[in-house]
Amino acid sequence: MDDFPIDKIQISGATLASLLHRSSAAAGDIHGYLFGHATISTPNPLSDHPTTTTTASLLIASITSFLSLPSHLPLPPPPPATDSTALLGWFSARRKTPLRPSLKDSTTTVSLSSSPSLAFIPQNSTLSLPPSLFLLITTPFPDQTIHTHEYKAFQYKGNAFEPKSLSIVNLGPSFRSQYDSFSPNVQFPMMDCELRGSNAMVEDENGENRADKKRQLKDQKQLDACAEGFELGRLSKLMASEAAYTGELEDLYDKMLAKIDGLSRLVEQTNAKVMEQENHNMRLRYRVAGLE
Amino acid sequence: MAIDTVPPLIAAQLNYLVSHCPFSVKVEQMWSGCKNPSLLDRFTLVIPYCLDYIKWDVVYNAMYPLAAPDIIFGPEDENFQPFCGGTDKSSKNSLTEWNSKDPARLLSLIIELRDAYMLYQRRRIGEVDDERLKFEISTMPSREGIEMYLSSGTEKPEEVKFAVPLLDMDLNKLVAGSTWRHPQKICLQVIFPVGKKYSTAPAPRLKLISSAELKALFSIEDFRLPPWLDGMCTAEYLPALEEMLESQIKEAVSSIETRRKFIMALTPHFGRPIETDPVFCRRATFLASSGVFTFLVHFSFSLQFPKQQPTIVLQSSQHFNPHNAPVKSPNLAEYPWSPRWELLEMAERIFDFMAEECLNFKKYCNQMNQQ
Repeated sequence: MDDFPIDKIQISGATLASLLHRSSAAAGDIHGYLFGHATISTPNPLSDHPTTTTTASLLIASITSFLSLPSHLPLPPPPPATDSTALLGWFSARRKTPLRPSLKDSTTTVSLSSSPSLAFIPQNSTLSLPPSLFLLITTPFPDQTIHTHEYKAFQYKGNAFEPKSLSIVNLGPSFRSQYDSFSPNVQFPMMDCELRGSNAMVEDENGENRADKKRQLKDQKQLDACAEGFELGRLSKLMASEAAYTGELEDLYDKMLAKIDGLSRLVEQTNAKVMEQENHNMRLRYRVAGLE
Repeated sequence: MAIDTVPPLIAAQLNYLVSHCPFSVKVEQMWSGCKNPSLLDRFTLVIPYCLDYIKWDVVYNAMYPLAAPDIIFGPEDENFQPFCGGTDKSSKNSLTEWNSKDPARLLSLIIELRDAYMLYQRRRIGEVDDERLKFEISTMPSREGIEMYLSSGTEKPEEVKFAVPLLDMDLNKLVAGSTWRHPQKICLQVIFPVGKKYSTAPAPRLKLISSAELKALFSIEDFRLPPWLDGMCTAEYLPALEEMLESQIKEAVSSIETRRKFIMALTPHFGRPIETDPVFCRRATFLASSGVFTFLVHFSFSLQFPKQQPTIVLQSSQHFNPHNAPVKSPNLAEYPWSPRWELLEMAERIFDFMAEECLNFKKYCNQMNQQ
């Protein structure tokens, strides 16, 4: 079960960038889980050559998201796999260290890939795959301005780390064929709302029970709060005369600008608070470390 | 905060390791892995293994010095994965329940890992397909502390190196009052090439290696290894070698006493030495004078004393060269000497020689000053 080789590891440019940013922004070293999915694809060689009878299927792992925390904290128990995302493996980011798995890396990888409860089943296949992926992120020894990160992906297979190439998938023409691999798969809760206002005939349908109606009302309230006065009824006015259209649109934009302004101010304030808290934490840490 | 500090908790562990380790561990370099580059929390340890060194990087975290360190092994040891696969019994190791307040923790971790490394190398060599090696391992006497190493480079042929500690005696106790901190050892290095047929296998490469401080007592370079006969194995070779070595070491220890007696024989003539090496008696310095000319006489004794006569250097205490250093004579090794003389006669003859030689030296000093 654990000796099935992964042929290709894919990661979207955005995910890798955010992973690298997270590791360089962290105060110390970090580690965490890598989530995504694996698929078995049978490449169809578009060749007229009759002898090419390649029926070998490729196992492709795509990393779509991650979860990170400082290295000194142990990894939490991994969440149960869902249909769309599985635990593929984990990563470790440590500054200025050789690009080789360490003692901790190997023990963690072994325990992850050898626990049968974490194994998942790749799409359109029947085999079961353990989370055997390991991504190592380091920074080069002399501080450099351009070359700031190094990374290497491994699959732990047969009691050894096998280096694997990591292919980065960026948006662009070549991305089209892989659109499905990186489509968002987080499900929003369904909000059962009606187009009220536009239709006055929202009379009671007596068959519905009260609880259902109550929930519906709550959802509607939430939606209205987000719309901030621009509920569907008002939007429909945009379809009316030209003068009304310009006025309404300007009003809409003003409100949006005000909202963005308010949001950015909020972000600024919270950032300042976070910064203050981090500095405070740093001072506490220094005191614990006996550096004061 | 001082520039380039090691957080105290980490420094305590590292200092304890360096000062208490049974083998001599060195720190090769230290650097920082956190955002504040003056906090050093990573270092490379140079650990002696199998008469060579292995380098391990120890990765602490200056931000969280309470956390256990991580170790990165050498690039050729990627398959060395200790503490893995431990189910319940073996899962307890130095890293579980790490206590950053206990300065001995890093030491016990390194010792445990080095032991694991020893087993790892032994396992690798057991897997090598070579008849002679299999035989060697099975017949290798069950003595303590044999270290082995399989070197497999891409450009070099595969070799297995054994480091066999010789002489089951405590060399530190042989020499009264020795100041050796680490246990002194003499090891035989045996290097076997891998993959040869037993019948055509060439003799292994042999070399005696001693700890550096032992050179004051016994010179390993002067020891002639007995020949390795065709078809021999290490277990056959060792007893004769050890016997020879043991008798020579005993001789070396007794020659300390000879040198001490000789220095004592010099005292009636030169007065009490102003400086001597009290442990190995390899050097002695006397203050002498001829009229108003005062000078120092430095004796240095080779390990072959009394077969080889001591080397004498005279040093004036009144004349200085242009660099303001006292004028010294060249090494004096040509003077009447016979190893068959009694120690008292040796001392007397040297004193007689010195009575003449000091006049030459005085002349030499005056010439130097006039220039």
